[in-house]
Amino acid sequence: MKNVKKYLGKLRIVKKKHYHPLIHKIHREHKISKKTLFYIKEYGPNANVPKRIIKESIKILFFASIISSVGGLALEHLKTTLVSLMPLLVLIPVLNDMIGDYGTIISSKFSTLLHTKRDNRWWIDKELKKLFLQIMVVSIFTTIFSTTLALVITSFMSEAPKMLVYKLFFITIIDVIILVSILFLIAIVSGIYIYRRNEDPSNFLIPITTSVADFANMIILSALVVMFL
Amino acid sequence: MYILDKNFKEIFLSQIVSIIGGLITGTILVAYTEKLFLIPGLLILLPGFLEMRGNISGSFTSRLSSGLFLGVIKPNKIKTKIINGNLMASFFLAIIISLTLGILAFLFNYLILKVVYVKIIFVPLIAGVIANTIEIPLALATTFYLFKRGHDPNNIMGPFITSTGDVTSIIALLVAITII
Repeated sequence: MKNVKKYLGKLRIVKKKHYHPLIHKIHREHKISKKTLFYIKEYGPNANVPKRIIKESIKILFFASIISSVGGLALEHLKTTLVSLMPLLVLIPVLNDMIGDYGTIISSKFSTLLHTKRDNRWWIDKELKKLFLQIMVVSIFTTIFSTTLALVITSFMSEAPKMLVYKLFFITIIDVIILVSILFLIAIVSGIYIYRRNEDPSNFLIPITTSVADFANMIILSALVVMFL
Repeated sequence: MYILDKNFKEIFLSQIVSIIGGLITGTILVAYTEKLFLIPGLLILLPGFLEMRGNISGSFTSRLSSGLFLGVIKPNKIKTKIINGNLMASFFLAIIISLTLGILAFLFNYLILKVVYVKIIFVPLIAGVIANTIEIPLALATTFYLFKRGHDPNNIMGPFITSTGDVTSIIALLVAITII
């Protein structure tokens, strides 16, 4: 017990940038999970918790802000069109949330897959194919569901012409199909790249896919609106 | 290949929760279109502002959940160094990112749309303070409540933060516009 306390004390003062074989030693000798040890090291009594969190998060948050603002610029250009297309305006936050969520799901599942599978040939992996089909089916279902609800909600304010209704379904479904495919492609390509560099894909894939998803959603949606409406 | 399994149902249900939050936000957006769209560049900052809630409060709840599961954070002790540190960091990040979004919207307005509108910098800043004063303590309380009731906050907090965060954010933006 005395030894554990001594080791844990040492672990708390290990500098972040230093490699810490202590984690492996304590894990091996005292059967304390690596996650617990990582947490103790990161947020122990001697750690400056706010500084550590801010330092680790700020860069990716700045990156996400820039990407989102560029995407927002595409929306700003469509301002006049959007005001006249109320159902689409209702759908913008819905689509953004949905696509971001799919990015998170795909990234976390693919990260786990990379850690657990021994075979590197992802293209023949049944689980990945199944996940792709599941996400695609859920996304098409939820898009039809949310577009219908958006049309119902806005019908109380003004009724949309029939042609617009068909076009709206077409645009949102195509948008979601393209985005889910892009998300899978990004998750697979960057996931394998990060994994081969011996880093944990879980730390990188979620911010990458969600930022790209938000940005791509606004660009693709704007392009589809310009083309079809 | 059978795809309608437990995994499918979980993804589908979480998406339904997320959609409801998004639809409420979208409806508020439509109801106040005239007020919101009068501000030049508001649509530039809107996606980033809505996304920020998930990025900051989502990570906050994820850190709390890990701490709770590992026993480093005690479910009955809220006033600890680690929780205070998390709260401080989340508030600080929210303010900095809100300000960044405001500056970016101002710059895009000025450089691309050729509109000079300084007030756009303060809109997300005020809205960010309002939204996070509600959202961060709410996220903290909900994570602890769920954990104490024997649930895994990781499975529930994602859609919860997305849905409540969107609604809080859009209302906070409206309040900020009214103040400015």
